[in-house]
Amino acid sequence: MKATAAVWLALSAGILCGQEFKLGSKVSDFQVQDLDGKPVAFSALRGPVTVVTFIATQCPVSNAYNQRMIEVYKDYAPKNVKFIFVNANRSEPANEVREHAKRVGFVFPVYKDANNVLADRFDAQVTPENFVIDSSGVIRYHGSYDDNMNESRVHTRGLRMALDALLAGKPVPIPENKAFGCTIKRVRKTT
Amino acid sequence: MKLAIVFWLGLSVLGAAQLTSIDESGFQALVASHKGRVVLYDFWATWCAPCREELPQLLRLEAKLRSRGFELLTVSADEPEQAAAAEKIVRQFGVRGPAYRKQAASDERFINSIDPKWSGALPALFLYDRAGQKVRSFIGETEMSALEAAVLKLL
Repeated sequence: MKATAAVWLALSAGILCGQEFKLGSKVSDFQVQDLDGKPVAFSALRGPVTVVTFIATQCPVSNAYNQRMIEVYKDYAPKNVKFIFVNANRSEPANEVREHAKRVGFVFPVYKDANNVLADRFDAQVTPENFVIDSSGVIRYHGSYDDNMNESRVHTRGLRMALDALLAGKPVPIPENKAFGCTIKRVRKTT
Repeated sequence: MKLAIVFWLGLSVLGAAQLTSIDESGFQALVASHKGRVVLYDFWATWCAPCREELPQLLRLEAKLRSRGFELLTVSADEPEQAAAAEKIVRQFGVRGPAYRKQAASDERFINSIDPKWSGALPALFLYDRAGQKVRSFIGETEMSALEAAVLKLL
């Protein structure tokens, strides 16, 4: 009994403290909140290919990608790719997210991740940061849109390459990459 | 006349704050050349508001502990078009000694060369001991008291 309790505690601690959704692993259902605070489940938003993108209103790097976000959405939404744009920053409330989306001309909804619960489950650290989930719920790509915030110096468009590969039923050529960005402004947790 | 000389000297010192380009191997060489001192490498960018807020606190920490062997070295992650703005900030804040700006063929390779666990999020601080070994990293908003405690352990 004690051993069972110890195992349960260890597992709980692992889930609470560590990254739950990793590249190559299957995600379980999760929730985000719409800008009125209503919970929305991943299962209601997902498609054959789903992109979860952590973004920000104030991060200059995230904002440098606003137009690219719109272009990727416009290019791939007609191919039945679903997009879940999430703001997990404690410092950017829903009304600011709504105003920002309107100001920059987003053509897709943006959701909040209250208390960065989802950011913790994905271990998302930076904005913008993408996770691409395939039809079976497995994360097939984790990384940036491309390799430079200055579009004129972009060589590799990692997200587009991943989407093209998945839509063609092929392995993602570069499953993970990194780029400079802003930290996700998490809530302070007491331990 | 004296005032003019002081002013000129001041400008000369401030004007010396040109950022030196650095890539992966340049950073490793920098670490190697600073063995014997405890060094905090501050990766920042002009677009990073928390980085700009943090820099004066880091400089105060360096001023307080420099005589005990502690040094702060800054590495801007800015793109070439922001280099002038980065230099201006380095001058304004009075960063001592040489300051650096990454100029790498691949940001990802550069980030991984500093720390494979680092996501690339800024601000990012990496603390090295006197042997030139990385001992701690502080990503995002950092409590200065925690940072100072970590530095003091190494001095």
